[in-house]
Amino acid sequence: MNQDEFGFRIRQALNDGAERLDYRTVLRLEQARGKALARQRRAGPATVRLPALQLAAAGAPPVDTGRGGWGWLRGAGWMAPLVALAVAFVAISDWQNEREIERLAALDFAVLLDDGPLEAYADHVFGVLLQAERQAQ
Amino acid sequence: MATREELSEFLAGVERRAFKQAVFAVRDESHALDIVQDAMMKIAENYGDRPAAELPPLFTRILQNTIHDFFRRSKVRSTWVTLFSSLNPEHDPDADPLETLEATGDTRSESTETTYQREQIVAIIEEEVARLPARQREAFLLRYWEDLDTAETAAAMGCSEGSVKTHCSRATHALAKALKERGITL
Repeated sequence: MNQDEFGFRIRQALNDGAERLDYRTVLRLEQARGKALARQRRAGPATVRLPALQLAAAGAPPVDTGRGGWGWLRGAGWMAPLVALAVAFVAISDWQNEREIERLAALDFAVLLDDGPLEAYADHVFGVLLQAERQAQ
Repeated sequence: MATREELSEFLAGVERRAFKQAVFAVRDESHALDIVQDAMMKIAENYGDRPAAELPPLFTRILQNTIHDFFRRSKVRSTWVTLFSSLNPEHDPDADPLETLEATGDTRSESTETTYQREQIVAIIEEEVARLPARQREAFLLRYWEDLDTAETAAAMGCSEGSVKTHCSRATHALAKALKERGITL
């Protein structure tokens, strides 16, 4: 009888012994199994993806949006008003710049056509040009 | 990820062998039950989200580590462990002999004498397995009872494949010799 065959015979005997456990031991093992199953580790909770602005509007608590993808939007809810304010400042500033450029362009055009005095360059107030126009009339 | 049913089925399939291995190691059924319960809790809590296919080698490793942990703790509190070892259910004066009859239920085709002889042989084999040196017994049981190959056994024991072969060979020879001396031929 070689080693593997001997091992197989012993295995049969050991299996036989394991099947003949007394009922109290079997009961304890079942109880232990039940306790272990009650503590089974689960994978992370299912993720819920909601638009950031919807979260901000609803005042909802932070929700795990997952590991990647749009997860960065989680913190964007409370930032939305700040972003809107910044956009508004930029728009107003841009609008004011455009007005200033148009004003200077009109001034240049009037000076080139001799419709305005040269002092107009030194005066940022467009009233100088208007005054010159009134005097010419 | 292993479902609750898969984990339950897996544990139900290994718990008796795990208990017997623990009994062979610590020679005390009460402590063996605690060890198996600890091992079950550990695999459920820490690896319950792993695929079902990964559970057998993990549980084997966890059980061996839990047995080793038991011996480490025993060194510290050896006094009261010795005291509590007398609570072996085999010596329980309140034990009802009828309770054990259920475990031998499906043997109606065998004569009482044959059943008794088989139980005696199994008991002797278990005694001799329990007498093997710890590492030899561990290697032998993993290799031939848990049906792990040499590499898997080496991984579970944290040793080389050569050591596993040596342990198994020595265990086989020691077991064969001991059984022969007790008049048992397989």
